[in-house]
Amino acid sequence: MPALIAAFFVTIALAIVSLFVGVSDVSLTSLLSGGMDGRPGEVLLISRIPRTIALVLAGASMAISGLVMQMIVRNRFVEPGTTGTSESATLGFLTVTLLAPGWPLMAKMAVAALFALGGTALFLRVLRAIPLRDVLLVPLVGIMLGGIIGALGAFIAYRANLMGSLLAWNMGDFSGVIRGRYELLWFGLAGCVLAYIAADRFTVAGMGKDFTTNLGLNYRHVMFLGLLIVSVVSAVVLVSVGSIPFLGLIVPNLVSMLIGDNMRRTVPWVAIGGAGMVLACDIVGRIIRYPYEIPISVVMGVVGAVLFLYLLLRTPRGAK
Amino acid sequence: MSTLFRSTAVAAALFAGALSMATSAIAQDKVIAHAQGETTISGVPEKVLVQDWAAFDNLSALGVTVAGIPGSNAPGYLAPSIPADAAKIGSLQEPDFEGIAALEADLYIVGARSRNAYETAKEIAPTVDLSVDNGAIIDGLKTNLTKLGDIFGKQDKAAELIANVDAKVAEVKAAAEGKGTALVVVTNAGKLGVYGPDSRVSWLYNEVGMPSALAAVNDGDHGGDAVTFEFLLETNPDWVFVVDRDAGVGNEGGAKALLDNELFNQTTAAKEGNIVYVDPQAAYITMNGYSAVMLLLDQVLSGLNG
Repeated sequence: MPALIAAFFVTIALAIVSLFVGVSDVSLTSLLSGGMDGRPGEVLLISRIPRTIALVLAGASMAISGLVMQMIVRNRFVEPGTTGTSESATLGFLTVTLLAPGWPLMAKMAVAALFALGGTALFLRVLRAIPLRDVLLVPLVGIMLGGIIGALGAFIAYRANLMGSLLAWNMGDFSGVIRGRYELLWFGLAGCVLAYIAADRFTVAGMGKDFTTNLGLNYRHVMFLGLLIVSVVSAVVLVSVGSIPFLGLIVPNLVSMLIGDNMRRTVPWVAIGGAGMVLACDIVGRIIRYPYEIPISVVMGVVGAVLFLYLLLRTPRGAK
Repeated sequence: MSTLFRSTAVAAALFAGALSMATSAIAQDKVIAHAQGETTISGVPEKVLVQDWAAFDNLSALGVTVAGIPGSNAPGYLAPSIPADAAKIGSLQEPDFEGIAALEADLYIVGARSRNAYETAKEIAPTVDLSVDNGAIIDGLKTNLTKLGDIFGKQDKAAELIANVDAKVAEVKAAAEGKGTALVVVTNAGKLGVYGPDSRVSWLYNEVGMPSALAAVNDGDHGGDAVTFEFLLETNPDWVFVVDRDAGVGNEGGAKALLDNELFNQTTAAKEGNIVYVDPQAAYITMNGYSAVMLLLDQVLSGLNG
């Protein structure tokens, strides 16, 4: 528990740091002398606060969707990036960009979410068809499925000269976030709240279909709610900032190492941990090549790969 | 009448034959020095393949017909001059080596994106690499025009094109004098990058002489260095030249909508309406082609004068 309390304060501290890292001069002294009407106050309101909120929302909701995914698939090593969900969302966004470029972002997001839903459902369907023995086989199947869907997207993008856009979507990056350009991410908060409300059901669903049904819960409904949360969050994050790898994998695993798998208890900590990790990686990305930026997906990829290896090597094979 | 015509035609044919024999008699091996070594070409190449749109651009400006072109990313402004019967020989980055071998070309030209193909391609056909150093695009363009002029015996045309480029650069330079600092911004899927003095539009800073609004930009990445709107606000360029990579794929006006925000609108460039949208394909794909450079220079010129 003390570790979690510390994580909470670290996240708060990172959010404050995030408000004061950037190209413009925004500091307590400049804010006090200029007031909210001066340049520093304006930059704070238009650029820094929106970016920090976007980081917190994206981080928390991606980590939560990883947790939900792990619960409903009953496997520690899945997250939207290893189940074909992210690739499906990208394919959906690509399709709608090609066929209806004039649609509002909201509608494009909805199409991406529908594709994500379809892709994830396909993943679950494939899983049911394959008798699985090994815990690592599940994410492998997901990664392969994601590879196929991703290749389809790449083929279409290549044909339509959209490779540049595809690359940009795959590269999560918060540099374009300002007021008026991140608000879709609030849907992520809705996803987190839903996950919290339904946490007990997911915990039960995590124990298997028969167990769930015996307890009087509609297994399919719980699964669908989980899929919905994961798909909407993936689509929202994708169209707002691009995909962020590893996050949904690492944070829930770290939290589960500390306080176990009762989702009612883990949800808040996973959210806080996800926000903290995204904040930290984004701040690093802003500082390394100041005043230019390194996309968060690059930083996250490096940090995430190391942590993922640690988790893989640490977990005894066959453990759930 | 008809006999006269016939005898003239026969005479002409004889003369042409004699001429071609004469040329083939004096045709000799030429050694072309290029970015990755030297290549020997005998006579004037007839069947020419290009894996690079800038090279195609230069050849079509010189009036050379091309038999093979890249199968992707054809710039819109080049469309009228692309021969419909030209073979497609793979994408910009991935040449179709089998197709190239089957065409038995006299000359195969690779460029910036296809330069890695050189080692393989030189075993298949006489290959030259006409890549250009991004820091010196105009010089590179002129060198390439001269080189191609020599290869195809079109030295006069090459000299004429080079004179055109020099004149246009001088004209834009005069127009840019005293207009203040510039920044080239590239937009891609809602994200911003900046191009600096080593980028594919370096001529704006180096040859036209508009001072860059910032000290150092590294064009290590295709999109330039990623930046925020805050960065644009603080850099505060007098002129902004926009390469909109979303345009041309059914997303025109994407850059305009992206840049119309509370922070960017406070920059000098936005306040004075000094925002110039340049042809994204010319800037991004054919950055060292003759008509691309001329097109971009014209767009910058009309922006500066407008």
